[in-house]
Amino acid sequence: MLLLDYQNVLIEAVLTERFSGAPPVSIDQTVSDFDGVTFHISTPETKSKIVVSIQIRCYEDLVRYGAEQVLNREYGSLVIAPEAGYDFSIQVDLENLPADKEARDELVRNISLMKRNAMAAPFEQAYQEHYHLKEEASKFTSEEAPQGVREGGEVKAIHYREEEAIYVKASHDRVTVIFSTIFREETDRVFGKVFIQEFVDARRRAIQNAPQVLFRNDPPLELQGVPGVKNTGTGEVGYVTFVLFPRHLTPQRMPDVISHIQTFRDYFHYHIKASKAYIHTRMRSRTKDFLQILRRARPDSEEKERKTASGRTYKAGS
Amino acid sequence: MSTLRPYRNAVRASLTAALCLSNFASQVAERHNVPEVEAKTSPELLLNNLVVARNKDERVLIEPSINSVRVSIKVKQADEIEDILVHKFSRFLSQRAESFLILRRKPIQDYDISFLITNTHTEQLLTNKLVDFILAFMEDVDKEISEMKLFVNSRARSVAETFLVQPEAKLGAITDRERGKARFAGVEG
Repeated sequence: MLLLDYQNVLIEAVLTERFSGAPPVSIDQTVSDFDGVTFHISTPETKSKIVVSIQIRCYEDLVRYGAEQVLNREYGSLVIAPEAGYDFSIQVDLENLPADKEARDELVRNISLMKRNAMAAPFEQAYQEHYHLKEEASKFTSEEAPQGVREGGEVKAIHYREEEAIYVKASHDRVTVIFSTIFREETDRVFGKVFIQEFVDARRRAIQNAPQVLFRNDPPLELQGVPGVKNTGTGEVGYVTFVLFPRHLTPQRMPDVISHIQTFRDYFHYHIKASKAYIHTRMRSRTKDFLQILRRARPDSEEKERKTASGRTYKAGS
Repeated sequence: MSTLRPYRNAVRASLTAALCLSNFASQVAERHNVPEVEAKTSPELLLNNLVVARNKDERVLIEPSINSVRVSIKVKQADEIEDILVHKFSRFLSQRAESFLILRRKPIQDYDISFLITNTHTEQLLTNKLVDFILAFMEDVDKEISEMKLFVNSRARSVAETFLVQPEAKLGAITDRERGKARFAGVEG
């Protein structure tokens, strides 16, 4: 249970139940996901037609990086005009489901991955850009490569939370993914630092072929001149950089890597919170032990009535 | 570790000596009986303060007076994470000061946690057990802090490894991931 799932479990559960052949019922359910994403599952017309809508705060950003193409590719004929108040909707007709159980499961899974698919667009674009730049770069030796090829593409910014963003940048030999993350509390900041240090060190220690992870409190060089990036200097904002090397950038591994890297921020914060909770319970039990020790200092002066095995009572010493 | 035992012994001896308290009504206000070490109304009732220090980060301050003793402990804080843990811990205890009887709700300046022992406490409770409690407290807090720190570190490590190995796992690097998991299980269990 260390890792987070990529799909939305609640949507998966609701749809699996609906698709299992149970009699159609009307649904009207709002489902929340990480990063302030909201889903709405409803049956507006008839009980057999389920509409799933998604609302993402950075949808505009995503559209700019080709989210619509990705979603259309994934959901194809299911796409309908977006429901009011939401960014993207699909409709599934229960009377028109694939007959094969495996295909139905696949459909459920694909729908529950809607957030992942929407967020994947900028990453996919960065992958494509990387392939393109790599081809370009292979025509030159490293010294004489023209400026554009060496520097790589533009920085794609996804402002997926109020004050936090993901930046993706492709170049000919790598794709850089930068998360800006904010720590509201001093405690979180310190815990975050311990955790991120382990991410940085992991590559050196055990897993040589993992992506390189870098951490700093001021914006990295890649983000210079990107609008919206400001250096607060307070250490409240942290920038976590993942450098994906060609090994991670093969087309076969693209879907997995994209799914996985998306969960980073939530995974990271989830474990910080979990550690805090664990420490809290631990302190609680330790406090109980201390009270126990202090209680020993109280002399048992009160006379107690005790019972012997045979049931007679007697006064124990004072 | 070698200086730990003499340090504790010194604290124990000084505390036992300081906990020689008597009932003493206030000289300033009629029908008042307050801990003189807190009120500080008459200088002749206060005794000399005593600091037992193991090093500059670990020390105990004992402030004796005629009817009360204030004991303040500074716990070692080597880095930021220990700092946070100590702070959280002392706050946690202070919030439960009611049930701790001798705990002072607010530590005095420069120390992490303070106890206030008055003559009522020494009359109702066994003095040597009180000293035992403070010594056990010092010992356990140190132990607890270092254990929690180890926990946070090892959790961070397995969290990082699991996350970074995952994309590899599909290509056969599963062993690394399982090693990470096993380590994690060891920590929790």
